[in-house]
Amino acid sequence: MTRAAPRSIDEYLKQLREALQDADPALIQDALYDAEEYLRAECASHPDKSEADVLELIASTYGAPDEVAAAYRDTEAKVTAALRPVTPRGVDSPNPLRRFFGVYSDPRAYLSLFYMLLTLATGIVYFVFVVTGLSLSAGLAVLIVGLPFFLMFIGIARVLALGEGRLLEAITGERMPRRPVHPGPSLGLWARIAAMLSDPRTWTTLAYLLLMLPIGIFYFVVAIFGISLGGALIVGPFLVFAQYLGWDINGGESLVQPALLAAPLVAPFTIALGLLIFTALMHAARGVGRMQVALARALLVKPGM
Amino acid sequence: MDDSHARKFQKDLNSGLVALVLLAVLDRTSEDLYGYEIAKRLQKANEGEALFKEGTVYPVLRALSANGLLTSRIVPSYAGPPRRYYRITDEGRSALRDWSGIWHQTRDFVDRFIAGVEK
Repeated sequence: MTRAAPRSIDEYLKQLREALQDADPALIQDALYDAEEYLRAECASHPDKSEADVLELIASTYGAPDEVAAAYRDTEAKVTAALRPVTPRGVDSPNPLRRFFGVYSDPRAYLSLFYMLLTLATGIVYFVFVVTGLSLSAGLAVLIVGLPFFLMFIGIARVLALGEGRLLEAITGERMPRRPVHPGPSLGLWARIAAMLSDPRTWTTLAYLLLMLPIGIFYFVVAIFGISLGGALIVGPFLVFAQYLGWDINGGESLVQPALLAAPLVAPFTIALGLLIFTALMHAARGVGRMQVALARALLVKPGM
Repeated sequence: MDDSHARKFQKDLNSGLVALVLLAVLDRTSEDLYGYEIAKRLQKANEGEALFKEGTVYPVLRALSANGLLTSRIVPSYAGPPRRYYRITDEGRSALRDWSGIWHQTRDFVDRFIAGVEK
């Protein structure tokens, strides 16, 4: 691909943009921004030469647009390849029974189940934090400390959001932000505060933290329900059998009510039902992990970042 | 001699080495540097004939920064668009130590084989 060598900075940037046409928009942004910084600095350091003269030498120092475009593509390909998540195994088996029970070999299912239990705790913490922070901010607003307090509150909320994202990435392997959003060009203090307040993400982050309480309660209840019911159905018949053998548990009273569930002919079905419930819970946990990532992406991560 | 082979070889070598050199440059200075300054320092160190195009420095800086080895901040400039200044992180310093070790090992290993080859 040969083109007329660019004669001005604008022309160079246009050619670079064309060379990167099909690339990721964020990558194009980066490349144009970097090239402009270099080209303008180069022109500024040669005040005796015209822009066209400087551009003439650019291909041998900075590189021609095509070359530079290739460099960005290569680097991007390497970075994304290194960050690609691992694919779970045993989910595409043709045997539906294996596919159903294959969930036990997926570490993400266990982690998600743990997450479901954890969300009650984190949900309470988040909720108390947001409610306390908001009401204290409102109450202190008339005093001079109100504003710094509010800013600190929003700052901590962002750290919590980042932590929640890291937790979700650890559990599901889905890519979440690794550091807080870059503050961008350093404006004045007031402009930054205004930008923070007008940023919808600030408010959706607070909404997410509040929402985690009801969601956390729901997850916790579902997880406990599944674990205890499934577990009891699986273990119960064995305990009754142990009692029958003369083991003294529960003072000889039947552990399973109605006792029919542990009757010799019914017990296998009871155990199977328990397994079914428990396995379904594992599947639900995996789904919860995925759903939670989608919710976090929508509320905690700025679109297009 | 076919020049394109030499160029391709140089390009393959550069793909990892540019990152190592950038970390070393940023480790040596106490100030934050922006892309243009870094590119010029590299060019000066090699007495004109550049081993790589300065344009290839920028994507590597971004990749290093995305991996937490560098931090960056944006500063408005009079001469054009705002500049992105880079600074090495502790993680970057430990990567630099590891990578220099690998580089020395690799260099000695390669030298052992090509010692007799005439230039």
